[in-house]
Amino acid sequence: MNSLKYHAQFQRDKMMDNGPDSSILCRELKWLMEDAVEDHSLFSKMGFENSDEKVKMRVGIEELYNLWKERIEKRRPFQYVVGCEHWRELVLSVQEGVLIPRPETELIVDFVCDVVSKNEDLKRGVWADLGTGSGALAIGIGRALGIGGRVVAADISPVSVAVAAYNVQRYCLQDKIEVREGSWFEPLKDMEGKLAGLVSNPPYIPSKEISGLQAEVGRHEPRVALDGGVDGMDALFHLCDGAALFLKPGGFFAFETNGEQQCRDLVDYMKNKRSESLCNFEIVADFAGIQRFVIGFHH
Amino acid sequence: MAECSEDKDMLNMATEEIGQVVEEERRLQNLLLKSLLPKDDADERDSILEVRAGTGGEEASLFAMDIFRMYEKYAHQKGWKFEVVDIAQSDHKGYKEASATIAGSGVFGKLKFESGIHRVQRVPATEKLGRIHTSAVSVAILPQADVVDVQLKNDDLKIDTYRSGGSGGQHANTTNSAVRVTHIPTGIVVAIQDERSQHSNKAKALKVLCAKLYEMERSRLHSNRSKLRSEQIGSGDRSERIRTYNFPQGRVTDHRVGITYHSIDDVMQGESLDVFIDALLLQEEIDAIATFSSSQ
Repeated sequence: MNSLKYHAQFQRDKMMDNGPDSSILCRELKWLMEDAVEDHSLFSKMGFENSDEKVKMRVGIEELYNLWKERIEKRRPFQYVVGCEHWRELVLSVQEGVLIPRPETELIVDFVCDVVSKNEDLKRGVWADLGTGSGALAIGIGRALGIGGRVVAADISPVSVAVAAYNVQRYCLQDKIEVREGSWFEPLKDMEGKLAGLVSNPPYIPSKEISGLQAEVGRHEPRVALDGGVDGMDALFHLCDGAALFLKPGGFFAFETNGEQQCRDLVDYMKNKRSESLCNFEIVADFAGIQRFVIGFHH
Repeated sequence: MAECSEDKDMLNMATEEIGQVVEEERRLQNLLLKSLLPKDDADERDSILEVRAGTGGEEASLFAMDIFRMYEKYAHQKGWKFEVVDIAQSDHKGYKEASATIAGSGVFGKLKFESGIHRVQRVPATEKLGRIHTSAVSVAILPQADVVDVQLKNDDLKIDTYRSGGSGGQHANTTNSAVRVTHIPTGIVVAIQDERSQHSNKAKALKVLCAKLYEMERSRLHSNRSKLRSEQIGSGDRSERIRTYNFPQGRVTDHRVGITYHSIDDVMQGESLDVFIDALLLQEEIDAIATFSSSQ
C-alpha cells in the first residue's frame, strides 16, 4: 500500500516537472545493478547461462534497496546515487555539492577538438575551464591537447575543487591540468593575455526559475552552479569581459547558455562592447535543436 | 636390373621421391592458384551482426534471440569480442531486433556467409496444441568500416536527441542520452540509447551507420562484378533461405552446400557452427578456382 502511494506521489511530481518516466527508471535500475556487481563480464551472461556461479556485489541488497528508495522518494539524482556520471568516454566521480555534467556540454569538447586540430599553437597552449565542477570539460580538453598543452580548472566551491582534482588524478592528468580554487578569473591573475582558450558552463538559469526546477536538480544540485542572477546572464557577461582580457591573440572561447535568447543577448553584447578584441561569433545548437552555445575568437 | 639389388633400391627410392615431388608440386600449384585469387579485402575486418525476427510472430522473436546468442557463444569460443549494440525485446522477452559488434581476427572472413534467412521448425514455447511451426529470422553480417572508408561528411549527417521537451541543459537531470543519426543522402537512420553517455551513443550510431554505408557500396560493386561471373555460393541476397534448424529431428541443414548436421544443440551452443562455415569457405575457394581457371 505504502509503495503504491510513493509511486502515485512520484507520478504526480514527475508530471509537474518533466522528471524521468518509467522506461528511464528501468534503465537506471539496470545500471544500478551493473554498478553493484563486482565482475561486469558476469552481468552480460546472466539469464542465459545456467551456471551456479556466485555473483559478488559491492553493496548489500538492503543498501541497494535504500539507495533506490532515495532515488524514487527523494528524487535524488541517479548520478549521485551511484556516485558517477558517464560523460563522453569518461566516467566522472560526482557527489552532492557538485553539478552533474550535462550531455549537452559534451559538445564543447568537440568544438575544442575541432579548433586544435587546425591550429598547433592552440593545441600546445594554456586553456582555462572556469566553474569546472566535476572537472569534466577540463579533462575532456586536457586529453585533446598536445605536448605542452595545459588546462587550468577553477571553481569557487571547495567540494568541486576536491572532486575535480580527484577526477583529474583518476585520468592521470595531474601534470596537464591544474585545479585552482576561486571565483571566475580571480585564480588566473598571472594569465592575462596568455590563454589559448577559455571554456565554461556557468550558472545561467534566471533566479526566479530556480524554485520550479525539476526535483532532481532543484532539490539536490548546488544552487551556486545553477543560479545566473535576475536574467541568468551575470556570469556569462563576466566571462565575456574576461575573454577579452585573458585570451591571447587568436585565442578561442566557448560558453554554454540557457538557450536562444541568451545566445543572442550575449552576441549582441560582445558585438557592441567587446568587438575591438573578440570576433567571429557563432551560435551553435545542441542535439535537441536548442541554440545552446556561443563560440568565437580573440582578434 | 633385377640382378643388382642396389639398383632396385635406387629405383624404389626414385619412385617414392617422384611421388612426393608430384604431391608437392600439386600443393604449390594450389597455393599459387589460391594466392592469385582475388581476395576479399574485407575478410580481416570486424563485423556488425544484425538479427531480425521475420515471419512467425512471437516464435520468430524467440528464435531470433537463440540465433543471436548462438553467435555470441561462437564469438566467445573464437576469442572475439562480442558487444551488444541494441536489443528491441518482444512481449515474451524474445528479440524483435538485435545487433552487436564482433571484433577480433578475421571476423568477417568467417561470418560473411551467415547473412540470409535462417528458418526454424519446432514446437514453440507459446504453442498449446503441440503443433510444429515454421518461422524465420534474417541475419546480416556487415563488415565494420570507419568514416574514412565511406568518406562520411559531417554535412551529410543530422544528429538529434529525442528527449521530451523542456529547456534542457542545467534545467534537466536525465540519464536518457539517446542519439539518432540520420544520413541525409541515403535516409538511413540509426538510433542508439543503451550507452550511458550521449557521446558513446553517438559513436556507436556512427559505427553502425558506417558499416551500413560500406555494405551498400560493396553490394553495388558486387552486383557489377556478378554480371561478369555467376556467383556460386548464395546470391548474397538477404532474402535467400540459407539454413533450416529442425528441432524435432535434431538437425541443421545448410541449403547452399547441402550439408546436414545432426546435433542441433551443439550448433545452437555455437560449438559446431564451424562445420558449415568451413564447408562454405571451402566451397567459395573451389568456385573461385573454377571460375578463375575457366576464365583464363
